[in-house]
Formats: sequence, structure tokens, C-alpha cells
Amino acid sequence: MKKRGQGMATIMFGFGYGEGFPDHSIVSIEFEDESLLIRTAAADVGQGVLTVITQIAAEILKIDPDLIKISQGDTHLTKNSGSTSATRQTFFTGNAVKQAAEELLGKIYHYASLEFRSNHPELIVKDGHIFRHDDPENKLSYWQLAEIVSQKGEELKSEASFFPATDAPDAATGQADNVYVAYTFMTQKVEVEVDTVTGEVEVIEVNTAMDLGKAINPRNVEGQIEGGTVQGIGMALMEDQVIQNGITLNPDLTGYLVPTAMDSPHFKTSLIENEDADGPFGAKGVGEPSMIAAAPAVANAIHDAIGVRFYELPITPDKIKKALKDKIF
Amino acid sequence: MKITLTVNDEKREVETSPTTRLLDILRDDLHFTGTKEGCGKGECGACTVIMNGKLVSSCLVLALQADGAEILTIEGLSKGDQLHPVQEAYIETGAVQCGFCTPGMILASKSLLDRIPDPDEQQIKRGLSGNICRCTGYTKIIEAVKLSARKLAGKGGEEDE
Repeated sequence: MKKRGQGMATIMFGFGYGEGFPDHSIVSIEFEDESLLIRTAAADVGQGVLTVITQIAAEILKIDPDLIKISQGDTHLTKNSGSTSATRQTFFTGNAVKQAAEELLGKIYHYASLEFRSNHPELIVKDGHIFRHDDPENKLSYWQLAEIVSQKGEELKSEASFFPATDAPDAATGQADNVYVAYTFMTQKVEVEVDTVTGEVEVIEVNTAMDLGKAINPRNVEGQIEGGTVQGIGMALMEDQVIQNGITLNPDLTGYLVPTAMDSPHFKTSLIENEDADGPFGAKGVGEPSMIAAAPAVANAIHDAIGVRFYELPITPDKIKKALKDKIF
Repeated sequence: MKITLTVNDEKREVETSPTTRLLDILRDDLHFTGTKEGCGKGECGACTVIMNGKLVSSCLVLALQADGAEILTIEGLSKGDQLHPVQEAYIETGAVQCGFCTPGMILASKSLLDRIPDPDEQQIKRGLSGNICRCTGYTKIIEAVKLSARKLAGKGGEEDE
């Protein structure tokens, strides 16, 4: 017989290294040939940080995103951006790019005001050009301006470091004022179907509401939430590394199962844009928080479906069959 | 030993050994590095290519078996700068994250759509079930296959490969 159940879980996640560890990201921006070059060591492992920082720089500098190039992850060319971990790159490198872009924009206004013999409020930037509001035809591209600046022996470029402080927790109490830079919150409700004969659990639907401050790229964020949640479902239902005497007995994907397309549920996702005061455009991290709620929500849904409470993951078919048998007899 | 195989419509001769894997011939000898090695034992689908019209894990195909075969790798899907509709659909739906599974996933999608032009959700999931993706949760990949089906239907019989 197949029994349906619903379960819910709510999580909060403090991101960045936190706890007083030095945590920062350094970014520089300069003009190069026909493009704008952002130097960052932030590693894009698929989560989309390079897309996000391209959007941020394009937004601040009023420039076509296609003109932006990124020189990434080269110790010769880039400074420290910290690791792609701790759900931190959008917040840290996003902020560093925002600051560097703002500084560059300030310089563009400064040098252009000298060229146009005008005041900053009289100037307008649009599509990679700057001009006086009363004379839009007489405009300078950023690249033309960079050339003029270099002829003066100066440089039209910028660098910024985002380096927020956090507090180490008190050794005795574990408390501190500001342990992490910010927190992401998420609630998920899942619906499962439990086959009481085979013990198999199918996750039918996942409803997610995540307070992420601001979704700089909503589709990327959805992808992160879907991917993280399916990893969480894997932890809840199948992923089990069996170690005996220090040896992993299932070091392959036949013995260690991960979710396939067959295990992918339907998603309904609400992005709650409750802007964070310190995030770039209010954005917070979404990577790790997206996978935390799935396991408790699935366990709660299984309890709702068959009345059995599990305290150990993964909740495999054999555990469910045994529990149902113990419950009946 | 020498084998002859057609890769992406081009006839190639390769000096190899009978026990060399098709995966290594493609990557090391012919430099089609779009084909990825994941598990190396036919479990993950990263090395998927289409051989004689069928989806295979190229890590499980030996050189001798590939002699005389027609192979399609991810590099053979686009025509010049013109992406295949399935590739377009993956980009438009955001179905790519780290990208490691993507070549195999796209070829599995194409193979499915060759067999079943208008698959339902369950057929899509089954068609992709031999390819593991750790990033996306598959949602947007399934969406991409649905979009691919619509794109291919819209273009009628033009897309023969």
C-alpha cells in the first residue's frame, strides 16, 4: 500500500567563515582593449559567482555584461578571494566587486568632469559612455576616457577589499555579538509517498521559501535550491558510506547510491527578498542552506505517512520495512 | 593495432591496443575532451557518447568494439557556431551548473528525443537516469528536455542529426 505524508523543516545558516576568522575578498577592475576586466580568485564551481559579479559590475557601471571579462583563479594575476565554501562568494566577492565598481565609477566621474569642464551632478553614464546631460551627443566611452587618463600618466582602474569583522565566541559561554556576517533562513515542506510493501520512499513535491535577501540571478538561485535539496534527499533516503576498520566498503556509485533523475521531485520555490543591510544589493548566500532542511522534512513526512519516527539517516527501504513489521507485531 | 572509426562525420584512423577504451581514444588520441571520465565503470554517464545510434558509456567500450563504428560526441552536435536545439535548451533553462555531466546529459537527451520525440515526464526521467548530476537536482535538465522537444518539433524534419 502507498501512504502519503507531509513534513516540514525550518533552518537558519550563518555563512562566511565567521567566529572571528579573517575572511575577505579582493577584486580589481580595469579597462582592457574593448572589454572591462575583473580580476578575482573566486572559484566558480557551477554555483554562478562569476555570473553574479558580472551582473553586479554591469549594474553599477552601466555597461553591457557581454563586455565584461573575468580573469579568475590565477595567483599571478589575482589576489585572494577566499575559498568557494561557507556559502560566502556572492556576499564577499559580490561586495568586493560592488565596492571596486563604485570606486571605478567615482573615478570615471572625476576624470570625465575634468574633460567636460563640468560638475559631477551634470554628468550621466549610460551604455559604457559618459556625457553632460545637456550635451548627450558629445560623449566619451569609458575606454576613450581610460586612454586620456593614461596619457596623463595616471590609471583608470580600481581595487577593493571586502573584509568584515566577526567575533570569536566566548570560550566559556559560546556566545558572541556578531558570530557570522549574516544568516539565511529557509522553510521547506515536502510531500512523500511511502510504499509499505517495498519500503521505498518517493519525494513527490518540495515547497521552499527561502529568505535570501536578494536573488541577484533568480534562475541560478532556483538551481542552487533544487540541487541542494536533492542532495539533502539523497542524505535522507539513500546515501550511506559504509566504513569498516577504516576501509570504505562501498566506494562506487553502485554501492553508494546518489539521486538520479528518477528521484527528482517537483519544486515550488518562493524567493523571499528581505534585503540584508550588508549584502551586495541585499543578497545573502544560498549554497549550503539549500540542502539542510530536506532530511528533517523528509523524516517528518515519513512519520506523517506511516507513524514511525526515525532517528538515523539514511531512511532506507529495509529500515522502513523492519519498522513497519515491529510496529504491527 | 589500427582501427578506423567515424567520429562526428569524420573518418579517423587510430593506432591503439585492443584493450584501450573508446573514452581514451576520444580524449587522448583524438582530443575530443568534451567527453568526460567520471567513475570509469559505467555508473555515472559522464563519458556517454552515441555509437552507431545507441547511447553507450565510452569507458566500457574497447577499441576493438569501436572499430568501424560511427561515433557522435558532444563536439559533433553543433554545426559551426550554430548550437543544436538541445544545447540551446540547456542554456535557456539554466540546466548547466558545474558542467561535468552536461556533455553526457545532452547526448542522453538527444538520444531520448530521437527515439521518443514527445516524451512525458516519466520517460524523460527514465531516459536520463543513467546520467548522474550532483548540482542541479535534475529539475532544470528535465525542463531543458521538454523545451528541446518543443524546439525540435517546431523545426520539423530539419534536424536529422
